[in-house]
Amino acid sequence: MTHLTIDQLLALRESGSEPGAAAAREHVAECGQCAAELDRLHQRVARLRALPRLAPARNLWPAVEARRAGERRVVHLRRAGIGVLAIAASLAGVAVVQSGDVEPPPPAVEGELAAVKESSRALERMLEVYGPEARVVDGRTAGMAQALEARIAEVDDELQATSLQQPEPARGEQALELWRERVGLLDALVDVHVTHASNVGL
Amino acid sequence: MDPYLVADTDAVLARARSGDAAALEALYRAFEAPVYNLARRICRTTEDAEDVLQETFFEVCRSIGRYRGDGSLWGWVRTIAASKALMRLRRNKYRDTDELDDQVMPNRREDTALRMDLEAALERLGETSRAVVWLHDVEGYTHEEIAGMMGKTVSFSKSQLARAHTRLRRWLGEEALA
Repeated sequence: MTHLTIDQLLALRESGSEPGAAAAREHVAECGQCAAELDRLHQRVARLRALPRLAPARNLWPAVEARRAGERRVVHLRRAGIGVLAIAASLAGVAVVQSGDVEPPPPAVEGELAAVKESSRALERMLEVYGPEARVVDGRTAGMAQALEARIAEVDDELQATSLQQPEPARGEQALELWRERVGLLDALVDVHVTHASNVGL
Repeated sequence: MDPYLVADTDAVLARARSGDAAALEALYRAFEAPVYNLARRICRTTEDAEDVLQETFFEVCRSIGRYRGDGSLWGWVRTIAASKALMRLRRNKYRDTDELDDQVMPNRREDTALRMDLEAALERLGETSRAVVWLHDVEGYTHEEIAGMMGKTVSFSKSQLARAHTRLRRWLGEEALA
């Protein structure tokens, strides 16, 4: 007598009517060996389902939450960055139109401001290429990145306020300080992510 | 019926959709254990399973607005978890130990004396076979669903399941009973 193969026995467990299922069922009804094999298959599956449930050894929610918050801040950062640049551009336009009314920032400050803004843009591009929001990080890295991103968001808010409230040239000097701080923070953020990546061998 | 219940599901979901951190954490707490269990049964290491758990809930937080309540919440979360776990297998490109066994030890049939417990036997299966046997026999996915998640054919899923059971039967010493 030809016994059923494992594929035929497995097919008997499927809910739909597989080809040949009726003949296989008839065979199982008559063949003690295949009936026992089918029974062992059912028992094996029941034992698989009864295996102990494995639980994570540590609480991973803070890491998920930090990553989620980090992504939200990156979005905010990008929006704020665009906002700061737009306000700066519009104020520069106003300054050109009203050049007789306000004193422009000293050329040295203006030059340095342009250089610091370029550094800031270069670091933003590096972060964008690295894509930290799409990566899994440990809680410590996430915490450090979160703190840096929070401070960058504050600096951006201060930059916006400075652009709107301060007269030139005080605006230029204060803005320069804030842009320098922004570059320092972005630099640290790149460092945190790249160090994490090299630690885990990425 | 959903085996893992979230107290006051509708209210929690509404808050989670608006980005409420406490509501998202409540979802995490409700499904953390089953998601980790699924991930750990499919992935080789606890580190991979923890990454899958993180990836799954990061995705849940991002996409909760897209869950419309058509199926069970656990079913939706579980599908994300299974996809992430399978993605992790593909990314790691683990060497399939089944193939290694076949190449190095063609006379594996002789070792029925070395009876293993089910846990060890499951662990010993190749990555793909283990994923298929877990998703089909324990989580209850159909071959069509597994094939879709793996980007393979239904026949592939069926043959992997048969392969897994042939090996489990042998390693558990059940051949001797036949």
